[in-house]
Amino acid sequence: MSAPTLAIDNLDLSFKGLLSRTQVLHGVTLTVEPGERVALVGESGSGKSVLARLVLGLLQDQRGVEVSGRIDFAGTELDQLSRTARRALRGRDMSMIFQDPTSSLNPMFTIGNQFHEVLQRRKPNLGSDQAHDTARSWLDRVAIPDTDRVLASYPFQLSGGMNQRVMIAMALANNPSLLLADEPGTALDVTVQAQTLELMRKLAEDVGTAVLFISHNLGVVREFADRVYVIHRGHIVESGQTADVFGNPGHPYTRALLAAIPRITGEGIPDLPEQIDLSHPPVHHNTGSADHG
Amino acid sequence: MKRIVAILLLNPLSLLGLVLVSAVVCGAVFADWIAPFPEHRGAVVDFSNFNQPPNWPYIMGTDLVGRDIFSRILYAYRISLLLGVVVLVIAVPIGVISGLAAGYLKGWPSFVIMRITDVFLSIPPLVLAMSMMGLLEPTLINGMLAVTAMWWPWYTRLVYNVTRAEKQEGYVLAAETLGASTPHILFREILPNCLPPILTKMTLDFGFVILIASSLSFLGLGVQPPTPDLGSMVADGAKYLPDSWWLTVFPGLAILVAVFGFNLIGDALRDILGAES
Amino acid sequence: MADSVLSAHGLGKTFQVGKRHVVALADIDLSLRRGECLAVVGESGSGKSTLANLILGVHTPTTGEIHLDNAALPAERQLTHRKRIQLVQQNPLSALNPKRSVRASLRLALDIHGIGTPQSRHDRVNSLLSDVGLDPALADRRPAALSGGQRQRVAIARALAPQADVIVLDEPTSALDVLVQARVLALLNTLRAQHTLSYLFITHDLAVVRNVADRVAVFENGRLVELQTTSDLFSCPKADCTQRLLAAVPVVSPSELALRDALSKRNDHDEP
Repeated sequence: MSAPTLAIDNLDLSFKGLLSRTQVLHGVTLTVEPGERVALVGESGSGKSVLARLVLGLLQDQRGVEVSGRIDFAGTELDQLSRTARRALRGRDMSMIFQDPTSSLNPMFTIGNQFHEVLQRRKPNLGSDQAHDTARSWLDRVAIPDTDRVLASYPFQLSGGMNQRVMIAMALANNPSLLLADEPGTALDVTVQAQTLELMRKLAEDVGTAVLFISHNLGVVREFADRVYVIHRGHIVESGQTADVFGNPGHPYTRALLAAIPRITGEGIPDLPEQIDLSHPPVHHNTGSADHG
Repeated sequence: MKRIVAILLLNPLSLLGLVLVSAVVCGAVFADWIAPFPEHRGAVVDFSNFNQPPNWPYIMGTDLVGRDIFSRILYAYRISLLLGVVVLVIAVPIGVISGLAAGYLKGWPSFVIMRITDVFLSIPPLVLAMSMMGLLEPTLINGMLAVTAMWWPWYTRLVYNVTRAEKQEGYVLAAETLGASTPHILFREILPNCLPPILTKMTLDFGFVILIASSLSFLGLGVQPPTPDLGSMVADGAKYLPDSWWLTVFPGLAILVAVFGFNLIGDALRDILGAES
Repeated sequence: MADSVLSAHGLGKTFQVGKRHVVALADIDLSLRRGECLAVVGESGSGKSTLANLILGVHTPTTGEIHLDNAALPAERQLTHRKRIQLVQQNPLSALNPKRSVRASLRLALDIHGIGTPQSRHDRVNSLLSDVGLDPALADRRPAALSGGQRQRVAIARALAPQADVIVLDEPTSALDVLVQARVLALLNTLRAQHTLSYLFITHDLAVVRNVADRVAVFENGRLVELQTTSDLFSCPKADCTQRLLAAVPVVSPSELALRDALSKRNDHDEP
């Protein structure tokens, strides 16, 4: 059996302020197997987004950041890698999709230019004609019509949904082994968001990329992920196969999160308990994560 | 408050700025007590001690008519700081009010204010001040007027830009839908949110006003003798370089210390105000 | 129509962008009944925000009129009009002035509309905070020291302060976490009953609509394409746009999945 694409073991993270120290992650352990789609669900302030930044190695060098525990990427401990080696991983073996597609693209360059740059991370000597062809075939795959016009456009000339598709294409173009998606499309229309999520799911499957999908909405996750981790204030409180977590939520916090989602069947606004029992031990549904498809 | 102290103490440059500025301000305010020869601020002549290099009791030497340079620097600081205060006290309110109005209001009032501002901004500042000083008598009051005339448009621009951004915030819409008056929205809702950049710019500008005023008097257009002024001291001494170096170096250093100090404080203030929100 | 508190008659708005005219809203007839929660749904650019801005008097309509209690509202709103129509915005952090305390924000609403005597307003602020389930001790804090849910409660209290009877809720829970959303929705329901409020609930989330609204108006490209009671809409959605919105609702239970599939099969086609 090959090493997991991402293995996070007992990860602690604290921010040291001027006068205080805040612990954001408490012993987080999480794995993503090759080709697997895993969701990390939590509310704002749960630490889910900083986790993604740690995996990308964007946080470690900042002042006041204290990290312990280890992150392994495809069998290599990230801390052992030099800064340059870590930077080389990003955008090539590991890529990321952010909330707001339009602001994560550079407004000063055309889509074609940016695509070329992305492709060069894998093939540094790639010429612009080849890059153009590759980019065009990728834009076709994300169902963008009129690809030549889009490649010649600047991000602000395209709609948010279009930019989101471009981002997905760029993120997958280098066949990365891991895609980190931090609430992709929350800045977009619901209908566009639903379409692009579906697209991302299909493409990741085609390319064989493992996805760590970060979201605050359990509802979105259900149709997307093979496995789910629920995070609350830096603690993983529940993990397991999606069907198990949704069918038989074990932790009171997960139950509350599920109950809080309004239903289209019209059960009314849920009556949430005033206090959620957070002292409840974490629930890990006992399923081997290796026996997925 | 604890945060502010912590930021200041943890950043050695902020602390240095604080020390420099305190020294300058104390020197100016208490010049009568600190200066070894307070009477040298005026038209005093002491030919027995003229053009002395630094020695005791003239720690920075004496000028061509035998006045103590250290004493004159302290009194020159007094005038520079006074100039800075007066210029900012006049320029900032004009800039803030016009900037708020131009940023919030639509249509021709905004257009008119901003075009007038553009006209002032498009004239090189020193040229504007020089032509005003050329037209008027070169007195302290006119110096202040000239510097003020070139200073307010920068505040209009700054406040205009911040206001334009703040106007998009939901709290402005909320105040409008509640039916709040325009003055209330401008001064009670938007202005408090413009204060951090304004205060930071004011501190930085304090140094620059001193610099510009020194430049004017260096060119002979500022404060007139025998009133001590850093710029004219540098100008007078420059003719005797390098032999009588103390005539130029110490007033020059004095300008540097003040401008540098206010810049450091400005940076620290930006950190503090930024961290607060 | 008899008990309509707010109504739009032939309402339209055209913006001029450079030399082009962009129709944001065209020919809308709609009425909000007293005590009703009317949901306004649509994708971005459907005109739902323009409708809110016209109702609030932020923009003036190009065509048509808005009636409050069957009397047309003038282009220049009086305080007496503003008092009755209030707004709760999507992003509570931006909606509250970061430099002013909660008390100052609420006082402003009372002061402008002369609610109570100046002496009684201090207590009134406290009781408003209790009404929205907040500890009055929070009154002297600034918004930055509150959680997202607390901020949105303050924004709701501010909308209640002038004793408004029509409240425009512009995506009031879409910036909130699900647990907080559920609590804020429950609060909005309670307040509506207590104070006989009428809500114009702007949202894109049909699952929320299902549980809070009496009727649903669906907007697309500046036009009203569907207006039905909530239960009718969820048994027989007509417009394409409604179908799309329904398909986008994340579902968590098998019964929901069955309902969503049943509704989308009724009128099957995909957006290219």
